[in-house]
Amino acid sequence: MKMTLLIARKEFTEMLRDGRFRGAGAIVFTLLAGALLLGWQSHREVSAQHRSAQEATRAQWLQQGKKNPHSAAHYGVYAFKPQVPLSLVDHGTDPYTGVAVWLEAHKQNEFKYRPAQDATAVQRLGELTGATVLQLLVPLLIVLLTFSAFSGERELGTLRQLFSLGVSPAELAAGKALGVAAALGVWLVPAAILGSVAIVAASGGGEVMAAAPRAGWMGLSYLLYFGAFTGVSLAVSAWAPSSRVALMVLLGFWMMNGLVAPRVAADLAKSQSPSPSAFAFAQQMQLALAKGSDGHDPGARAKALETELLKKYNVDRPEALPVNLLGVRLQDSENHGNEVFDESYGALWENFAAQNRIHQRVAWMAPGLAMRSISMGFAGTDFAQHTHFAKAAEEYRRMIQRTMNEELTHRAPKTGAPHLAGPELWNKVAPFAYTAPEAGWVAERQAPALGVVAGWFAGSILLAGWAARRIRVV
Amino acid sequence: MAYHVQNIMLVASGLSKSYAGKVALHPLNLRIEPGEIFCLLGANGAGKTTTINLFLNFIAPTAGKATIGGLDVTKEPLASKRLLAYIPEQVMLYKNLTGLENLEYFTSLAGGRHTASELAGFLDEAGLARADAGKRVGAYSKGMRQKVGIAIAIAKGARALLLDEPTSGLDPKASNEFMATYDLFRAKETGTRVGIMKQGHLMATYTTSELGHSDLERIYLEHMHE
Repeated sequence: MKMTLLIARKEFTEMLRDGRFRGAGAIVFTLLAGALLLGWQSHREVSAQHRSAQEATRAQWLQQGKKNPHSAAHYGVYAFKPQVPLSLVDHGTDPYTGVAVWLEAHKQNEFKYRPAQDATAVQRLGELTGATVLQLLVPLLIVLLTFSAFSGERELGTLRQLFSLGVSPAELAAGKALGVAAALGVWLVPAAILGSVAIVAASGGGEVMAAAPRAGWMGLSYLLYFGAFTGVSLAVSAWAPSSRVALMVLLGFWMMNGLVAPRVAADLAKSQSPSPSAFAFAQQMQLALAKGSDGHDPGARAKALETELLKKYNVDRPEALPVNLLGVRLQDSENHGNEVFDESYGALWENFAAQNRIHQRVAWMAPGLAMRSISMGFAGTDFAQHTHFAKAAEEYRRMIQRTMNEELTHRAPKTGAPHLAGPELWNKVAPFAYTAPEAGWVAERQAPALGVVAGWFAGSILLAGWAARRIRVV
Repeated sequence: MAYHVQNIMLVASGLSKSYAGKVALHPLNLRIEPGEIFCLLGANGAGKTTTINLFLNFIAPTAGKATIGGLDVTKEPLASKRLLAYIPEQVMLYKNLTGLENLEYFTSLAGGRHTASELAGFLDEAGLARADAGKRVGAYSKGMRQKVGIAIAIAKGARALLLDEPTSGLDPKASNEFMATYDLFRAKETGTRVGIMKQGHLMATYTTSELGHSDLERIYLEHMHE
């Protein structure tokens, strides 16, 4: 252990004195700090916009004056997905899935405001977020710092001298790993502090408490991910016949992990479990909805409902019913629609979940995929949390529809004369409140990805130890 | 040192090394007694460095064994190395560290604990100027690096020294040395015994006190021309 620390200290000192390390580290730190600051700024703006839009939509709802409850149902409200403070580190799928949805009668709408729709292809590649730097650039820095850890010393000749002293190869590997960790810490610790400050600054009251466990999970996962990269790099450096070979192998691994595997996983997921196009999805849902009635025009389903009601209350004409027929018909149409939405969106989301499982399997070969999943998971921007929010918003929409239709059913004149409701009814609808799931909920869903990263970490340590013990000294 | 001189003996018994059928070292039997300075003479590829590498367990023997102070180097790879100091043909150091820092690093890895003034003393003894000790090694000449290498060996206080084609002087004192060299003068001057190697064979060994320089040169040339 003492030897390990001696080696770590020497590696650390050497790296700090190396201009190339200082330059590369400064670049990575600047990019990371820049990404965090940009993330914080956009988080602050977007949150403020959402807050004011949420207040505006609520105010509009309450101040819509006197009108028919069904008109109010059509008028609708917007729901905005609250931005978890950690999302400033990782935007995840938010730019693709959108963060706002219009809740109106008859329809479970698609989300709106997807920045990816407006982005050019270049932007899509180049979006600078903390996650990009942490998932791609820090591993690259680790590769550059460690590819010659053993091979370079062999080429220089110092490896012979080290081993002639009776240094144990495993301790040498451990010392080098610790040295790299300490050197990276010089840049990453300040970045982490900066990130924490940004997150605290971005958090409203009480959000810090919710963000802390998420940040803990995320930070720990990134540490394991970096550890895995360090272990693999050291193993390759010990195994490779030369530093050149080590660098080529490691750059290959880095590209496979960060650039090729995501592409392959996406294509594989698409071919194994094809998702419908937005157009096909909308059309299929439209067809299914058409089998019911929208409650406005009296189709076959509406006629059957009328007959059933007349029979139930034992009366001979709609005006004699104790309830308003239109209200019942509208709720019936909602019920039918809800079944269709549950089925359509259920199938669509199950399809995405199946694609996600394919990603998880590919991740065993490329830990970067697992890290991406974990990162956006704890940032609250993964697809699971998108659907969690979408479901809550849809529940709220259904509650509004039920409230409006019940008003019509029980209060509106049976004669079909106009019925106007006012603020009293609008106030019956509580404002939309959404709480993002807790860290444990995310951890449970990210368990396979956490397993991959932890597995790679443990495996890479074993691999590095194994390769160091088998190192050729001459 | 805790080790008694009597224990520090280098022994090769039937030690050999082949690479894919090509023999680099034919079975070697050699016994270097405490206090002896044994010089292995031979051209490049004669098997000198192979022999040293086998004693350091850098390569695994094809047959036979090498022991240092009674320890089989393949079975006690770490403990056997604690008994000796090795100075390669070219001492290589970490260029971003100073000479003193290099010395401190290597000696502390060898298990030694020395104060700064002791370390400076070792460098003095090896002949490195005080002013140079605090400079980064990147600016050192080959000879200056060699002096740091010697200081490392002195600091280790090992009784057995392995020298691979040394180019600068070392006061052997009470050590026994195993030296591979192509330099006849040095072999004669510093060695107590000389072995001549050719194509992986130890052709013959001589006690230098019994030989004049011209004798050694003649014998060496005879072997080389055989």
